[in-house]
Amino acid sequence: MRAAIGSEWTKLWTTRTIWWALLAAFVLMAAAAGQNALYVTNGDIDASSAGDVAVLSVAIAQLAFVALAMLVMTGEYSAGTIRATLSWIPSRGRLLSAKIVVVAGVTLVAGVVAGLLGGVIAAGILDDSSDIAVSAVKIGIYLVLLGALATGLGAALRGPVVTLVVLLMAIVVIPPLLQIPDISVLNGIADAFPGVAGNHFLAGDSDPYPPAGGLLILMGWTLLAVLAGWRTMKRRDA
Amino acid sequence: MAITLQELTKRYGRTRAVDGLDLEVRPGRVTGFLGPNGAGKSTTMRMVLGLDRPTSGRALVNGRPYAEYRWPLREVGAVLEAKAAHPGRTGRNHLLAMARSNAIPARRVDEVLETAGLGDAARKRFGTYSLGMGQRLGLAGALLGDPPVLILDEPVNGLDPDGVRWIRRLLRDLAAEGRTVFVSSHLLTEMQLTASHLVVIGKGRLLADAPMDELLDGHGSLEDAYYELTESAA
Repeated sequence: MRAAIGSEWTKLWTTRTIWWALLAAFVLMAAAAGQNALYVTNGDIDASSAGDVAVLSVAIAQLAFVALAMLVMTGEYSAGTIRATLSWIPSRGRLLSAKIVVVAGVTLVAGVVAGLLGGVIAAGILDDSSDIAVSAVKIGIYLVLLGALATGLGAALRGPVVTLVVLLMAIVVIPPLLQIPDISVLNGIADAFPGVAGNHFLAGDSDPYPPAGGLLILMGWTLLAVLAGWRTMKRRDA
Repeated sequence: MAITLQELTKRYGRTRAVDGLDLEVRPGRVTGFLGPNGAGKSTTMRMVLGLDRPTSGRALVNGRPYAEYRWPLREVGAVLEAKAAHPGRTGRNHLLAMARSNAIPARRVDEVLETAGLGDAARKRFGTYSLGMGQRLGLAGALLGDPPVLILDEPVNGLDPDGVRWIRRLLRDLAAEGRTVFVSSHLLTEMQLTASHLVVIGKGRLLADAPMDELLDGHGSLEDAYYELTESAA
């Protein structure tokens, strides 16, 4: 397993994808945090601390993390390297695990750093510097789970485009559409989506379920995506 | 024993790509693997490497399925397709990642780069490689784990005359060291120069498994022998 992780780690840092993804993550986080902090000072949105603004800004920055995580898996299929990779590491479970460990490691560190960056920028605009560290850690945890979900889904669907579309639908597009009419049934459905559940965890909401409930729902989705990916890799020819 | 196929079969829907292949590919000689396009050569090789799942039957390498080896690159070196590296990664980094996956020391990477004659190209991105350079990188990868078994799918594709000569000598040397060398090709004259034993398949079935001399017996060339075999099967 250590060898497989080492190999995936080397692969991650030897193409340009990682640098573009990290650059995009930090730029999106900084821009969103600045904008959201200005909205807060104008009274357009309700947030009380710099940490809250960082959490709000994850909605934008997460896209870079999701893209990176799903590319680690789907890139093997689009570049045609999956057969070579599986001939090095024939165990599908070991390969998928190694990829998830590598994605999780990078996402945790970069997610916490992005969270701190967003918090610090918000603090500069808001005259408030509370909750920055706590929010950054929560953002890191949220992004690790989302990254593992994207990696697993990539293994299940294989194509980068279809994987990204499904992820965007599930995280960015469908939940707000469900929430617009403000009907309790639809809101309830939206609350079961991974991104919304993750947001309840990040925001520390007590309604409709406690923050830990949001975290558990997200973990459930992640587990499901990883299992689906593992099953597909085991069953289908490479 | 080296490579053993037992009733190996692969069906896609109703077509049988590989149909009950029984075969022993032995060490110490270059075994050529011939057959028309779509005869099932690549599918067979992919099943040996655990990439495709047989519909029935088994493929074993030194008595065990490939996927059961902890460090498979030290058992089998394979070149399946020339475009097997990420276009954005340098050849050397590709081999470094490969070496790490099987706990092979990094200095071995420079040794095989030397053997494959990639030179300065090793530090260029794979996307800039010609087909021939891609083949050389693939061969470097196959040699990385110093494996007793080599499986090569069309390794001379895209190589220049120097490259063709280099690979011919390399394969014969590897076989002379007692390794199993199993190599597919469309180039019959090249095969006649490289292989000492031949396996011919058509429509997924075994047509011949015999020493080169025996196949050539009574024919002017390997080409004549090959056409007689494959046409009688069609």
